[in-house]
Amino acid sequence: MQMLEVQDLNIEFHDHSMPETVVYDFSLSMAEGDIVGIVGESGSGKTMSALALCGLLSRHDMTRRGRILFQGKELLTCSRQDMRQLQGREISIIFQEPMTSLNPVKTIGWQVEEALRLHTRMTRKERYEKAIWALREAELPEPERVYGQYPHELSGGMRQRVMIAAAIVCQPRILIADEPTTALDVTIQDQIIRLLQKLNKEFGTAILFISHDLSLVRRLCHRVVVMQNGQIVEQGDTEKIFRNPTQDYTKRLIAAIPSCDKEKTEWNQIGTVVLKVEDLHASYEDAGNGIFRHGKEKEVLKGISFRLRQGEILGLVGESGCGKSTLAKSIVGLKRDYQGRIVGAEGRIRMVFQDPYSSLNPSRTIDWILEEPLKLSGVSKSERREKVREMLRRVGLETGIADRYPRQLSGGQRQRVCIALALMSEPAVLVADEPVSALDVTIQAQILKLLARLREEMGLAILFISHDLRVVYEICDRVLILQNGQIVEQGLPQTLYRHAAHAYTKQLLKASGVVEVNI
Amino acid sequence: MKKKLKFNACVGGILTGGMLLFILTGIFFLPYDPDAMNAELRFAGMSLAHPLGCDNYGRDILTRMLVGSRTTLLVALGTIVVGGGVGTLVGALTGYFGGWLDEVMMRVIDALFAFPSILLALVVVSLLGAGKYNVILALGIAFIPSFARVVRSQYLKLKEMDYVKNARIIGCGHFRIIFVHILPNTLSVLVPTLMIGFNNAVLAEAGMSYLGIGVQPPDASLGRMLSEAQTYLFAHPLQAISPGFAIVLLVLGFSLLADAMEEKGCRC
Repeated sequence: MQMLEVQDLNIEFHDHSMPETVVYDFSLSMAEGDIVGIVGESGSGKTMSALALCGLLSRHDMTRRGRILFQGKELLTCSRQDMRQLQGREISIIFQEPMTSLNPVKTIGWQVEEALRLHTRMTRKERYEKAIWALREAELPEPERVYGQYPHELSGGMRQRVMIAAAIVCQPRILIADEPTTALDVTIQDQIIRLLQKLNKEFGTAILFISHDLSLVRRLCHRVVVMQNGQIVEQGDTEKIFRNPTQDYTKRLIAAIPSCDKEKTEWNQIGTVVLKVEDLHASYEDAGNGIFRHGKEKEVLKGISFRLRQGEILGLVGESGCGKSTLAKSIVGLKRDYQGRIVGAEGRIRMVFQDPYSSLNPSRTIDWILEEPLKLSGVSKSERREKVREMLRRVGLETGIADRYPRQLSGGQRQRVCIALALMSEPAVLVADEPVSALDVTIQAQILKLLARLREEMGLAILFISHDLRVVYEICDRVLILQNGQIVEQGLPQTLYRHAAHAYTKQLLKASGVVEVNI
Repeated sequence: MKKKLKFNACVGGILTGGMLLFILTGIFFLPYDPDAMNAELRFAGMSLAHPLGCDNYGRDILTRMLVGSRTTLLVALGTIVVGGGVGTLVGALTGYFGGWLDEVMMRVIDALFAFPSILLALVVVSLLGAGKYNVILALGIAFIPSFARVVRSQYLKLKEMDYVKNARIIGCGHFRIIFVHILPNTLSVLVPTLMIGFNNAVLAEAGMSYLGIGVQPPDASLGRMLSEAQTYLFAHPLQAISPGFAIVLLVLGFSLLADAMEEKGCRC
């Protein structure tokens, strides 16, 4: 018998006036030591299925049909007491956001030990030893020191390791990982994936890995389940599905993964220089406490120089904390206390932000938002209307959405509106700060296509900031690699990706699995 | 959850609507002169001529309630306009700009906050003298801190949003950002706060008039009427019950409405 059997699971919410089914007939079986991936875009029901498995869905608001058998035990109908016995001991879960999934006022040790306190009769000393063991297994440096620290003292990657330590401390049979690497940098992502593989090998822990990142799933999982709109579209061996997808949806998903194998046509550098950044230095003040005390200055940009030509898409790659966002802010004029020179395109630089949910004013309609730049330059009402309509068509939206509010649009539509807003005042330079990293792969591909088209049509120069090397390869003409506020390497993507010279570039390429490089 | 919400909105709406209708009636029609005394009718009980009876001077209680609740509503609304207006302005500016302005203003607000609002209003009234408009001013000042704090915290949060940054990039001035871009987004929090503030203002007016420093005789207000009735509470409870009941209905109705609004605000 399989360790975990899910048969025809249906989840239906009654929260709204109409009952809404989020998962239809979900079936899955897992044996010990299996790594199964669930992939799908947002809203496909992958997280809901996982939450149902570990008993985290409220029994009030919903009906669940079907069966979940864990080691022969019915999870949907068993008493809460029995469920609690399994949670944390046999079934553990790791969440996406390491910043919020740890309790900020408790020490790391206390949180790792919590499962032991609930499920075992260990003495204080035994618990301590077990916790240290788990922290060491999660490959945290100096587990004894980390044991006494608080979450805010650790980096994102370390917190995710702590989450893993807390999840494995009771040596569960199955570990559910809900987008565990989405919030992390590529090199950290790579380490976490390796860690999960190690745990799977060493203890035979089965892992249910939920992700929207297909390349990660391909690396880690033995089997894969593809979900769309709450239904399983396809499932089977990972390699088989990636090589020969049978369903249209799976084909579309796989085709949407940006790939670095394509040959790129070489871009000829003939446009005029529209933006020149020379020896840019910028620093941030740490938050000082008190009225008159000032924090320490921290230099985040250390002499950045580059040129951006008309019609060029320049990629800027780096991990969090490398100064990408500071650079973007300095260029668009949100940060003014920098040293060095930024010349060209004064007042004609616009920006597209990462999160399409926070970059549109939620209490205004789309046409109000889009008309705002024109209002400031005193364009008449009828002309404004006309221009908004034209711009909406240009970014591939229907003009009918003009009188809707941002919350009534999907993520992809919002990002199109954000691009439209940036283009309303006919800028020369567009700074796009991770414009596609919050979007699903198929939407991502559409937005990238849109940006490329707009560049052709309007001769726009785009500074494309991203941490995703594949996306950058797909769209950019030239790439800058940024590390600790310095440009360590630059060049055309096709040459840079194949013949990287700097160690950091090699490390990035390797971690994201783009190219196998020997360091 | 949803059912309870509808119930709140429904009952709150009916109570508030009823009270407003009552006050509206008083503007166009009064059965008697609210200040006319009649020694023969002292403590008269309920009758067809005087549905709620008469008070210790023989004035018709229903008439005085029609006038009194109008005064109370006026004072409460005035308080909200003064306190909410200044509070929102202070909160918006300090939250948005931060820096030394924020430090100085917030310390002043903290100092104001440290006094109970009634006590603070007492000080203002004793400086300016009693009377309807001075009570509005006094309560308004006392109510500034609570609004300023709520609005400031909203601005602190919202000014970091990308749409605000975007507004700056496309060239909006600070004041346009503060009032046109950010302010509408604070309404989901501001409106319930104003409604709760309104309730507190009704109670504060009643409290001040009761203490004798609010609305001055012979003007009627619900608190004033309670204060006058207190002396004869045991002998003639009817005189106290009517204005007391009116205060309860007014506050309860608004509270329920505020609850419903707040819930709704959380949802969207």
